[in-house]
Parts: sequence; C-alpha cells; structure tokens
Amino acid sequence: MKRGEGSTKRVFHYLRAINAENIKEWKIELTYKPDFIRQFIEPFVYLFPYLLYGYALLGGRYSEHLKDMTGIGDMVAYTFIGYLFIGFLNTACWAMGFSLRKEQWYGTLETIFVAPVPRWVYVAGMALHSTCHQGLIMLIQAVVITTFFAIVLKMGGLFPALALVLLMLLGLYGLGIIVAGLTIALKQWWVVSEALSTLIVVVTPIAYPLAVLPIVLRKASMFLPTTYGIMGVRHFMLGEQLAVSLPTIFLRLAIIMVVWLTFGMATFLIMDRYGRKKGSLSVY
Amino acid sequence: MIDNGAITVEGIYKVFKKGRSDEVRAVDGISFDIKKGELFGLLGPNGAGKTTLIKCISTLLIPDSGAVRVAGYDIYREPLEVRRHIGVLTGGERSLYWKLNPVENLRYFAALYGVPRKHVGDRIDYLLELMGLTEKAGARVEKLSSGMKQKLSIARVLVHDPPILLVDEPTLGLDPYFARFIRDFVKNELNRKQGKTILLTTHYMDEADELCGRIAFMNRGRIEAMDTPVRLKRSMPQKQVLEIKCQGAIEKEIFDRVPDAAGINITHSDGFVYVRINTDNPEMILSSMIELIQQKTKIFSVRVTAPTLEDVFVDLTGASLRNGK
Ligand SMILES: Nc1ncnc2c1ncn2[C@@H]1O[C@H](COP(=O)(O)OP(=O)(O)O)[C@@H](O)[C@H]1O
Ligand SMILES: [Mg+2]
Repeated sequence: MKRGEGSTKRVFHYLRAINAENIKEWKIELTYKPDFIRQFIEPFVYLFPYLLYGYALLGGRYSEHLKDMTGIGDMVAYTFIGYLFIGFLNTACWAMGFSLRKEQWYGTLETIFVAPVPRWVYVAGMALHSTCHQGLIMLIQAVVITTFFAIVLKMGGLFPALALVLLMLLGLYGLGIIVAGLTIALKQWWVVSEALSTLIVVVTPIAYPLAVLPIVLRKASMFLPTTYGIMGVRHFMLGEQLAVSLPTIFLRLAIIMVVWLTFGMATFLIMDRYGRKKGSLSVY
Repeated sequence: MIDNGAITVEGIYKVFKKGRSDEVRAVDGISFDIKKGELFGLLGPNGAGKTTLIKCISTLLIPDSGAVRVAGYDIYREPLEVRRHIGVLTGGERSLYWKLNPVENLRYFAALYGVPRKHVGDRIDYLLELMGLTEKAGARVEKLSSGMKQKLSIARVLVHDPPILLVDEPTLGLDPYFARFIRDFVKNELNRKQGKTILLTTHYMDEADELCGRIAFMNRGRIEAMDTPVRLKRSMPQKQVLEIKCQGAIEKEIFDRVPDAAGINITHSDGFVYVRINTDNPEMILSSMIELIQQKTKIFSVRVTAPTLEDVFVDLTGASLRNGK
C-alpha cells in the first residue's frame, strides 16, 4: 500500500476537487431557472434607490462638491462602480459562508466530508463558483449601465484595476472562510452573515467617499479589502483622486489580504475541530 | 506499520452534551477488531450508538478518548489516509445530489477522491452496469425510486474502489425487493467476490444473521456480546422459544408470574402482536400462557421455535431491537 500522496499530486487533487465543486454548483443552480434569472435582474433593481437618492440630493447627476472631494463629478458613475462590489461581498458573506450549511440542506454534507480532501476545499470551491457567477453578473451590469448612462471608462486602467480586484478577492475569501467556520459552530449561523455584510456595506465607500464617514468607521474601513478595491478601481477606471498613494494601496491591501486569509483559515480549522468534537453539524 | 486487522477500535468513548447537565453517552467504551475480508455486523436498536461509532471511525466525529486504526492509519493523525481507504454508506437517499444525474454525481465524487482522470469514464460505466443503472445514467436522481437511489449510493461509495466499507443501515426504508438485492449484493459481490472488509450496522436481526460472519450486540453505547451468529444463538441458556401470535394490547407485566419464562419479548408487526418467551419447557408453560393471553385478546397461532438473534439480544440486554430505546 502507498503511504500518502506526494505534495504536487496533492495540490492537483485539491484543485480538481475545487473545480468539481464549482461545476457541480453551476449545474445545480441552472436547474432552478427562475431563481437564476432573478439573480441577474435584481442587482439592477437594487441600484436604483442609490441613484435616486443621489439625484434627489444633488438635483441632477453631476455634483461640483463630489468633484472637489473625489475628482469625479458624475454621481452615477461614482456610485455604480462602488455598487458593483456588493456582488463580491455576496460571495464572501453568503456563498462561502453558507457553503457547508447548503450541503447539509441537500443532505450531502457528511458524504462529502468523508472524502479525502480537507474541508476548506469545499468552501474554496464555492468561492471559485461564486466569483465566476458574480463576475458574470457584474460584467453584464457594467455593460448595461455604462451603455445606458453613457459612462466613459478609462479602459487603459483595466489591468491594474483587475490586479487590485484579485488582491481584494483573496482578502475577502479570508472573511468568507471565517463566516463558513462560524456557521459550523453556531445554530443561528445566518446572523453572522447578516451582521458582517451589513457592517461591510456601511463602512465600504460604495456610494460615498471615505471622507464623509465618522472617524471610527473610517478607521474600520482601513481593515477591509473592499475599501481598497473600490478606491483603486474608481481611480483606474474613472480617475478618482486618491488620498493615499497607489503603492501604499497595493501594499496595504496585500498585507490585509495575508492577515485575513491566515486568520480565516485558522478560524475555520479551529471551528471544524470544534464541530467534530461536538457533533454540531449533525441534525439533532 | 500496516497491521493485518482492517479496523481496530480500542476503548472508544463519545459523549454528547445536551444543555448544562444533560448528556448522552452515545459510545460508552467500545473495543473490537475487524480482520481483512470480514463482514462484521453491529446489531442494536435505534439510539444504540451505531451511527456515532461509524462517524468516529470515518473521522466525521472526534472521539473523546480511545484509539482507532483503519487500514493501518490512525484516525487522529492521518484522517485523509483513513478516508482514502474507506467507503462510507450513510444517510440513505439524501446523500446524493438530486438535481444531478447519476453520471454527474459519480464524476463529482471521482474528482473528490482523486480517481485518475483517464479511469473515471470506465469506472463509472462499470459501476452503473454493476448496479443495473446504465439506462438511468442521464436521468435526474430525483426521478429515481428509493431503491435505485440506494443502488446509486452504493456505486458512489465504490467509485474509488476502497478496501474497507462502512455501511450504516443499508436497507432502512427500502421495499423488500430492493432490500433483498442490497443484502445479496453486500454479501456476495462486495464481501465474497471483491473481498472487501465490511462493517455493517443494522437493527434488523435477519439482516445481521444472514450477512455477518461476526456480530456485536450494541445497546446504550456498549457492546454486550460479540460472536458468530450461530454461537450467539447457542449461547442462550434456554434452548427454545414459545411464540404466541395475537392481536390487541398486551402488557409485559401480565406474564410476571409465569414460572420458567426467562425473557419475554413483545413485538408488533403487520398488525399482529408476537409474544416470545425464552424457555426450556415450552409444554410446561403453554397452558398458563394461553390462559393469560386469552383473558385479554384473541390468539391466532402458537408455535415453538429455536431462538433467533433477537431472542438472544433480549435475553442479554433486556432491550428489544425494535422498540428499545
Ligand atoms: N450530533 C449529536 N448531538 C447530540 N446527540 C447525538 C448526536 N448524534 C447522536 N446523538 C445521540 O446519541 C445516541 C446514539 O445515536 P446514534 O449513534 O445515532 O444511534 P443509532 O445509530 O444506533 O441509532 C442517541 O441518543 C442520539 O440522540
Ligand atoms: Mg443510526
């Protein structure tokens, strides 16, 4: 009998499992067609309250004040870029957070847990799936909104923007896996997702610049990957003026990414162990 | 390093805390060895702790104390290796993705188990053929009958061709036709032909009696006896059982004063009540038994049989397999 798999082999095995998880989720989702379509329409609907607020307050689409503060006068362009990022928050807080509870709901959780891959692999598979899924939704949104409102994006900024988004995503995955870990231990697991996503939406500069936040929240937002993602993308794609330099943004984002990922993974492993001691994932 | 015994369990405990003071001793100090190629059965009523024990062995739960080795691997230190060498059949029909078809289900599990890509197609064809599911390969699982779902679950368990199988209540809730198929399959194909080591749990005594080379009686988290079915049945101090088939409500207490009646077990099935009395002298107690029961209800038939595993179980544990808690 062979003892164990070599480490290269193991990496490929896990990657394959992650991808299998991704494909499985697409297939399952596509069997619920109305719900699938809903997910593409809803984001447009939820964008409107943001824009209507903006119009009501500014008496139009452009604001000199916003331009003074950020360098961007177009409220619609400014808001819509920030708004897009809510899709990624959904990935972390909801898709990743619920990945295990969803399997439990299918009835397959214990079946997949006896397969020879670590349990974070399933959460990672869900992260991949949801990132693709949300990415697709965001792409459609971006095309429709920019066309409809005649927003001109600086396409030259696309690649640096994407690099920043990638870093941000890794950081968000750290948050997502914490939520996934907590769902194992908590009976009312959805509370964590609710609380966290609300908190992030509030302190992340989606529809307003950071400068308008109270100082405490502004400090808090410095620890969230989304803050830098949004600032960076608006900078690269719309020309927002930054309060901090670009290298600083990249550096800070890289650091919080490592911190969140490490912290997230540790939390997950501890919670997984706790769950296997308590039997908290069985239905009793 | 690799020992011959396929599964070694030594002094396993698992206690679940329910609230502050309430606790359930689900597995209360269990030890046994299962040899390579053995078909070993855990027989016990609902709540005996069978599933909990299976979960400990399959690394789903961490025991409070004790040692478990599976195929030579330690469940604490090498859980991934343990999982690579076992196939676990639990959870019945819910353990599949109902929105996917059998092939998609098996492909997914093949990826989780790291079955080499070039073998996956053949392996799936073979398993579907083996389970008689080839024609259903493209149908969504939710469209399959319970029996077919259970067959597909078995195919799923075999996808990586594990040497050891943990099978938890494999025929629970299946109609007799599929239950028959599954039992024959487990014994003849999986154990005899493919030589797999199998740990099977059940609360059906016939199933344990028919399938298992050795049986452990499990009750309240403990093993009360462990031997071959034949020897277990021979171990009864009383060599015969008087069975009276009747209808209506009968309390055990009315038999309290019957002499020579060692254990009395009352079970219900198909709308009838069966009163079974372990005894050495069925003729001696026959008339008093009939008299007692006739005062309460109608008797359909009376017969004398050899002890079944259930009679031995009742004799040893005082608990019934069917109604016991
Ligand atoms: N995860 C759990 N949390 C709390 N109690 C549990 C858990 N799993 C099992 N139990 C309890 O442990 C006992 C044994 O259950 P189980 O192992 O399912 O028995 P069996 O499979 O023999 O029917 C039961 O009393 C059950 O309620
Ligand atoms: Mg059970």
